[in-house]
Amino acid sequence: MIGHTERIWLMLISLTFLGALIGEGGHAGWLLTLTVAILMAIKGSVVIDHYMEMRSSNQRIRDVLRTFIILVPILVIFFHGWGEEVRQLTTLN
Amino acid sequence: MNTSSSEALSITLDTETTVHGRVPGNSGIWVGIFCVLVEFLLLFIVYFIAKAHNPEAFSIGPDKLITSAGTIITIILLTSGYCMVKAVTSIRSDQRKASLRWIILATLLGFGYPIVKYFEIRWNVAHGIHGETGVFYTVYYYLTLTHLVHVSWGLMGLIWIAIRTGVGAYSSHNHSGLEAAALYWHTTDVIWLVIFSFFYILR
Repeated sequence: MIGHTERIWLMLISLTFLGALIGEGGHAGWLLTLTVAILMAIKGSVVIDHYMEMRSSNQRIRDVLRTFIILVPILVIFFHGWGEEVRQLTTLN
Repeated sequence: MNTSSSEALSITLDTETTVHGRVPGNSGIWVGIFCVLVEFLLLFIVYFIAKAHNPEAFSIGPDKLITSAGTIITIILLTSGYCMVKAVTSIRSDQRKASLRWIILATLLGFGYPIVKYFEIRWNVAHGIHGETGVFYTVYYYLTLTHLVHVSWGLMGLIWIAIRTGVGAYSSHNHSGLEAAALYWHTTDVIWLVIFSFFYILR
């Protein structure tokens, strides 16, 4: 019988295969970057909410974990769009 | 401290617990988990800056890696994590044998990670991909091997709670240790989901 946990697992596995398929034929660009960032945020949030049970847990801990899994995809998008500016800012001459 | 102030403190703590919710596992594991998150966030920033300086290397780098190896590791970790969710659920209803079976299954699946990693690295080296091949591969080895170290600690934790569950140390009323190990294990899942995207999918 497929319960809630099994459905969550199936969803995570399906999203993993989707990501792998995108990775096999993907070309650098905004579409790939946005897709990967969204997939990363969804999968991470699902693990945090359902595997780690953060929906019903301490709010401060939940906030830290959710900030982490939202911040990293935002950084992916930021560094894709403003990579050149970051390169100039982090060059030592 | 007199009795009335002790009661006041107790009431305050109870209220905080109610307002902010339950702390799963124990406080100690959350210190460890937050340290891991900060450590990897710093390593991710190294990845981003290295990518900003070498966009071409990071665009073609994933082409030489085996995407299926990363995918298999992801499936292994997510399935092992699923087993740990079942182990926690089982112990909450005092099903110790079922909980132990799920922990053992989670551990065995978890050991699949270093095995796949070993064959992946062997394949990489055979195809001339090592730490000095280029900046993309230097960052790839550094991040994935650091993650492997954390997974090794997680596996040791799983073995420990398997032993503790086997000797009947956990019950529906006392299983914070089991929950703490499961939480650490899920954290390695979350970190890997990011690493998988960085090195096998993103260009």
